[in-house]
Amino acid sequence: MSPASLDEALVAAAQGGSTEAFSRLVERHQQALRAFLRRACGDWAAADDLAQETFLAAWSRIGRLKAGASVRAWLCGIGYNKHLTAMRSAGRERARAERYEADRPPPSDAAPEDRLALEAAMADLPPEQRACVALCLAGDFSHAEAAEALAIPLGTVKSHVSRGRARLLQALGVCDDAS
Amino acid sequence: MTQADEQLKVLFAQDEPAARDPRFSTAVMEKVMRRRFQEDVALLSAASLVGGGALWALWPALQPALVALSQGLAPALGALALAACAAMVLGGRVRSALGLES
Repeated sequence: MSPASLDEALVAAAQGGSTEAFSRLVERHQQALRAFLRRACGDWAAADDLAQETFLAAWSRIGRLKAGASVRAWLCGIGYNKHLTAMRSAGRERARAERYEADRPPPSDAAPEDRLALEAAMADLPPEQRACVALCLAGDFSHAEAAEALAIPLGTVKSHVSRGRARLLQALGVCDDAS
Repeated sequence: MTQADEQLKVLFAQDEPAARDPRFSTAVMEKVMRRRFQEDVALLSAASLVGGGALWALWPALQPALVALSQGLAPALGALALAACAAMVLGGRVRSALGLES
């Protein structure tokens, strides 16, 4: 069974009230959703809280998900809206700032200064551009899927990704071999 | 994919959560089950309230009918209760006599 048809079967079962099927959907999509939210908001603890809230909202709204729709795009869309709401109440983000450092993994093979430069460059991007970069450059979403998730036009996604990519490469001091 | 994109990908990959995270999944499902329980309790409470209210409103009309019905059905209900008791008491013996007991 292909991943898409497995998702479809699990969604159908969850729409019928199966918590077991929903649990499998959580297992299958937690990585993509949490990775997106970490990159979109930059705060790991807050991102994981948002991911939990997203799944909770998804459980309530699973009946509205159309057959054949991309589950991960749908989840990222809910998560993105929750992130925007959370950004508006910025106090919550400040409260978690200290937990952020504690949750970070030890540095890996990539140079720490590159990592920090990428984080700083991501933080400088406007929220919508940052979300597009997080989905398309980091999360392997197609432009169309990102447009569906973020509910913005395809052309806007393309320009956000292109500009965001250029800014990230500039911040990292990497030569853009595509141009 | 260009070399620059590869480099970005490597850096982004450090944010990647584990493909399987039972702790996270369990936390989500606990919240889902709690939400479901709350919804069930709310539904049952609302249904009980509506049922109680309806019974209270209809009681003057229902009472005479119920009294008449209970008088008419009393012998039949008595016989049924006796039969149920007999089945409970004798049922086991009959089953063992027929060799149906597991």
